[in-house]
Amino acid sequence: MTNEKNRKKSQVAAIWRRLRKNKMAVLGLVILSLIILLAVFADLLFDYETLVIQQSAALRLKPPSAEHWLGTDEVGRDILARIVHGARISLPVAFVTIAAATVIGGLLGAISGYGSRQLDNIIMRIMDVFLAIPSILLSIALVAALGTSMTNMILAISISNIPPFARIVRSAVMTIKNEEYIEAARAIGASDARIIVKHILPNCMAPIIVQATLSIAGSILAIASLSFIGLGISPPTPEWGSMLSTGRQFFRAAWWVCAFPGFAIMLTILSLNLLGDGLRDALDPKLKT
Amino acid sequence: MYKFVLKRLVMLIPVLLGVSFIVFSILSFTPGDPVEMRLGDNYSEEAYQAMKEEMGLNDPFLLRYVKYIGNAVRGDFGNSYRTSQPVLNELAARLPNTILLSAAAMLFAVLLGIPLGVISATHQYSAVDNISMIGALFGVSMPNFWLGLMLIVIFAAGLRWFPSSGFEDWASIVLPAVTLSVNSLAMITRMTRSSMLETIRQDYIRTARAKGLKEGVIVIKHALRNAMIPIVTTVGLQFGFSLGGAVLVETVFAWPGIGRLLVECIKLKDTPVVVACVLVLATMFTVINLCIDILYAFLDPRIRAQYKTAKG
Amino acid sequence: MDLKKTVVPEERASQRPLLDIRGLRVEYHTDEEVVYAVNGLDLTIGKGESVGLVGETGAGKTTTALSVLRLIASPPGKIMGGQIWFEGEDLLQAKPRRLREIRGSKISVIFQDPMTSLNPVYSVGDQIAEVIHQHEKCSREEGRKKAGDMLEMVGIPRARYSEYPHQFSGGMKQRVVIAMSLACSPELLLADEPTTALDVTIQAQVLELMSNLKEELGTSLLLITHDLGVVAQVCDRVAIMYGGEIVESGTIAEVFDHPHHPYTIGLFGSIPTLDETVDKLKPIQGQMPDPTILPEGCAFAPRCPYASEVCQHTKPETVCVGGGHQVRCLAHQGAFQSPELMEEVRRGR
Repeated sequence: MTNEKNRKKSQVAAIWRRLRKNKMAVLGLVILSLIILLAVFADLLFDYETLVIQQSAALRLKPPSAEHWLGTDEVGRDILARIVHGARISLPVAFVTIAAATVIGGLLGAISGYGSRQLDNIIMRIMDVFLAIPSILLSIALVAALGTSMTNMILAISISNIPPFARIVRSAVMTIKNEEYIEAARAIGASDARIIVKHILPNCMAPIIVQATLSIAGSILAIASLSFIGLGISPPTPEWGSMLSTGRQFFRAAWWVCAFPGFAIMLTILSLNLLGDGLRDALDPKLKT
Repeated sequence: MYKFVLKRLVMLIPVLLGVSFIVFSILSFTPGDPVEMRLGDNYSEEAYQAMKEEMGLNDPFLLRYVKYIGNAVRGDFGNSYRTSQPVLNELAARLPNTILLSAAAMLFAVLLGIPLGVISATHQYSAVDNISMIGALFGVSMPNFWLGLMLIVIFAAGLRWFPSSGFEDWASIVLPAVTLSVNSLAMITRMTRSSMLETIRQDYIRTARAKGLKEGVIVIKHALRNAMIPIVTTVGLQFGFSLGGAVLVETVFAWPGIGRLLVECIKLKDTPVVVACVLVLATMFTVINLCIDILYAFLDPRIRAQYKTAKG
Repeated sequence: MDLKKTVVPEERASQRPLLDIRGLRVEYHTDEEVVYAVNGLDLTIGKGESVGLVGETGAGKTTTALSVLRLIASPPGKIMGGQIWFEGEDLLQAKPRRLREIRGSKISVIFQDPMTSLNPVYSVGDQIAEVIHQHEKCSREEGRKKAGDMLEMVGIPRARYSEYPHQFSGGMKQRVVIAMSLACSPELLLADEPTTALDVTIQAQVLELMSNLKEELGTSLLLITHDLGVVAQVCDRVAIMYGGEIVESGTIAEVFDHPHHPYTIGLFGSIPTLDETVDKLKPIQGQMPDPTILPEGCAFAPRCPYASEVCQHTKPETVCVGGGHQVRCLAHQGAFQSPELMEEVRRGR
């Protein structure tokens, strides 16, 4: 047993080393960590009540200055404070959507791969149909049907992210299912669940992690997009997309109202993409260093 | 060969049915009572029941779906709750604008992205390559609605080169199309580069060089041709994303397409229009993917061979 | 231009070799290290002559062939020095345009793996026609007809012109490659292990085909292989390569009957013969030298059963041991005496 643990440890160490060598990936990781740190300590840095919520006619649409580094918005709130607090919304929500998609998608994929041919076909056809609808449209349709609320938005985004995870787990299952050592395991009485956990999961960990990282990036975009068109998180919550939406009318004169929240979205997505790409390269056993 | 195309077309139908079923089901949950919306404020119980019957809302779900599809293929998507006019009218007026916008965006992305990717691959690590890849990284991560707003600030409000909204003349399409194209352009450039890099390493490229062919011929005729399959797949996928992205871009630029129509009608709870818009967009995506599949067969004789035999 | 000092005395201008490689040095530069693939190689090929280049994997044979047409992948690979004379010019100095003229028309190459040498998306006929159109002034129709002729010449029915590579077996693909390489009647054909990837029965067919075509068209041939049997079948002369240089060369008779270099002797000794009963195979002791280290003395010294102190420090030079037979060995050079080696040589095979 300890041999396996040691092997795993050295595998992880090797992957970490490869990742470290990739400067872009490290950059992504650093930026992402900074964003997360800011989100965690948001309350300490920027008092919620005074800076994020409180409106003030006097402070309307002030350009970036020493007091308000990124300026103020159309009702006098500090944009930097709102952006930082906005991270507290976007990041956890995106994470939740993808966590749900991974679990549900993974389960579906496992059932599909492990079960009968017919079951597999049915599940995969359904996935295909879902994939035939562009994901933004699917989310929009779901929210349109269920009503605009954060819960529905989370549901919608989770659902549209299920197919890739189902695919990954299913293909891992199908590859392993017929291997001889599985038959051996079954022969000594290992239950199906045990087989799935011990043998199949390790096989798809790597692609799942990569897919999850990239999907979280997509989820952040989806959250911002839905909020932008009014189908996601509504003001006054400082969500980046809705900040862009409410600031739209004023941004021609006050460009900072839209520029900075949007930049925050891009930076977050960028860091996740860099990290995801880097992870993909580091975890790919076929790749030469 | 034609059998192959026919076969794929036939396979399209279950997918379209599935898509329409899912869309129809999802949207039948929409809150808001359509009967009430038609009748307005004052109505009696009898009038309500009568209207409900007239609108066919007493039928079981599956029947309503079948009737809907039956009508939809003939172009009848029902009447809008807002205007009481056939949905088809609004759709017909707006759909060409969306197609124009998406097509322009994809054309731009392909015409710029593929050459850029090829040059990046053949001149790996050069300045062009580095700039393209960094640009592509940003392009992939950039929210298109944000980019649209920024472009408006710079080019419409600031420099006044282009209008900031609406569809008046040919200049109007520039900013929206560029905005919509950026995500796709970035992905296509990246995919072209990586596919080309792999292809150039193949033995048959060395053979072509050993035949004394010019480098340009080798790159285009031998390498690019073989690299096309993943590139074409990406183009198809990106077209899908841009159909979704059109919703956002049309909103930013007040472009009179069905994306914007979709958003407005969701807010106004005009469900028939919403269903029709989503269906049309999803159908467009599916048809495009079919075309991509058919394109594969033209590009690669091995795939063509697969479909010529009994399989496929 | 003066000819090599160790060359046969009656050399005349008209007997000038078709290909004359002198002092070729090629290195591969990776991030971590430098690989010395070819280290001062000298080789000549005469008109209409076929020369076998024999050596183990990693001896630098393919690199040598690729260097002639400058097909070495240039980021890692680099031709560091030497000259390759062909038709009065040094190919290593030739302009790209001239190189393109020569490739495929004056000098052709056949590579090792036929499965990947052909472009999968174009028909075999078109790929042959392509090289014809590139080098000969003829109409599309004429080119296609000539391509069809070439197909027939290698034993593939003309009717299969429009088929794609994946529709052919490995042996037939290699025939297509041969057709493609001979389509413009080159003076020299470089064949890099053309039959290694094929079944033994197909090997024989392809070799025979090459032999016949060579006779018919009068093409010179450089046949790279690790198989001495193939060389005996097809070639007039043979050059043995070790550690990036030629250690012995001569006619088939000269080298096969009386191998002089310890490596060559070891090579022949390691091949079991049908009429001898042996208990164990006799491979040459030791391993190929590490290509990232340039040896100080003779590259074979560590493995040589006849080596002496001198061999570790002094690089041997090529000497002539009779006729066109040349050896690169300090013992034959006279730097030291090795009675055992001389005895082995005298006995022959």
